[in-house]
Amino acid sequence: MELPSPMQTSQEISTLLASVARKDRAAFAAVYQATSAKLYGIVLRILKRRDIADEVLQEVYVKIWERAADFDPKMASPITWMATIARNRALDEVRRKKPDSIEDHPEILNVASGEDLAIDEILKGEDGKRLYDCLSHLEPDRAQMIVLAYCEGLSRDDLGARYGQPVNTIKTWLRRSLQQLRTCLSP
Amino acid sequence: MTGADDIDGLAAEYVLGTLDAAERAAMSARRQREPQLDAAISFWERRLAPLNEAIPQVAAPLSTWQKVEARITRAPHSANGSAEIIDLKRRLSLWRTSAIAASAIAASFILAVGVRELTPQPKPKNLVAVLQKDAASPAFLVTVNIEDRLMTVQPVAAKREAGKSYELWIVHDSLGSPKSLGVIDDASAMQRPTLAAYKRDVIEGATLAVSLEPEGGSPTGAPTGPVVFAGKMIGTSN
Repeated sequence: MELPSPMQTSQEISTLLASVARKDRAAFAAVYQATSAKLYGIVLRILKRRDIADEVLQEVYVKIWERAADFDPKMASPITWMATIARNRALDEVRRKKPDSIEDHPEILNVASGEDLAIDEILKGEDGKRLYDCLSHLEPDRAQMIVLAYCEGLSRDDLGARYGQPVNTIKTWLRRSLQQLRTCLSP
Repeated sequence: MTGADDIDGLAAEYVLGTLDAAERAAMSARRQREPQLDAAISFWERRLAPLNEAIPQVAAPLSTWQKVEARITRAPHSANGSAEIIDLKRRLSLWRTSAIAASAIAASFILAVGVRELTPQPKPKNLVAVLQKDAASPAFLVTVNIEDRLMTVQPVAAKREAGKSYELWIVHDSLGSPKSLGVIDDASAMQRPTLAAYKRDVIEGATLAVSLEPEGGSPTGAPTGPVVFAGKMIGTSN
């Protein structure tokens, strides 16, 4: 079978989401089947704990069920829209509680190394190529910091511990790097 | 720092995830009434989204779908109506469409995130069928690992009538009559090797159906009761 182009894929899932907006459960089941491994991967990365990630994933899909009518294919791809809901929910959760300290959970730093992230996979789309290009114009440390924050959900404190810098320095680095990215990414 | 820079910096950090809980809450409230901030957040959401491609997929626990289903169901439907099949043919044809969509989507995800994993060690290909009475009532999820033919049956919302059994059947033109895959009464997920004898293309093209039988299963080896749930196999990679 020939693999579908991403365009068709987005279109198909957009169609399914339109049915979900009309409370079509079969369409919702199909959306869940097609996307849950991706969204679970995203929330588990940020939350590090399967029990919490499982709970958050449920809430994410309940939200997708309730808010499918808000999805606008002109604004974002369906997977970006769903991933945004998932990330926001996971980040709210991980920031809400004082996270376990690294001393209690030495494995947290290990799983947050980002080394197993397939960064070159972002090159698949036009937006990804551009982001990759702009990230590679940053100092390697700063680019890594952006990726670790986004993918692993590291806070400024976490980043400070990792890079051996005060939180204020981290904040300055982040803002400066993001400003550079913004300039590079702006049309 | 100008106001615009600050808004953009905040929006960027909000999307990046580095704001603390109070700052996140404030941003989420402000974006409702500040279009400029909302637009800046949308910009960053779209621009950073490709990073999601780098994150490996992880299969969610099978029970999660059940829990989601329970949470969106205020008044659970009972699945006891054997005569309530709502235009099964129509549902099946709709499912064919959805199946194409779902497999296309799944295939593209695997393409997007799995290329490096696929090269050294091909991933097992899975098939999924949602067995349902109508759009509102998925009753069982059936997952098949095509490599070892292992089938997992996961009840979603099926309730059994006393003195009756649910029996699972595989339906495919090449098989002639439906062939039994066994009774599926247990409340918890179960794995079984009953598809071992079937060819891959038969399984991939099959419809699975559940009939309501006397307790313990059909006495004749063919369905004797009404078909209460059915669903088409959907490939999750190809």
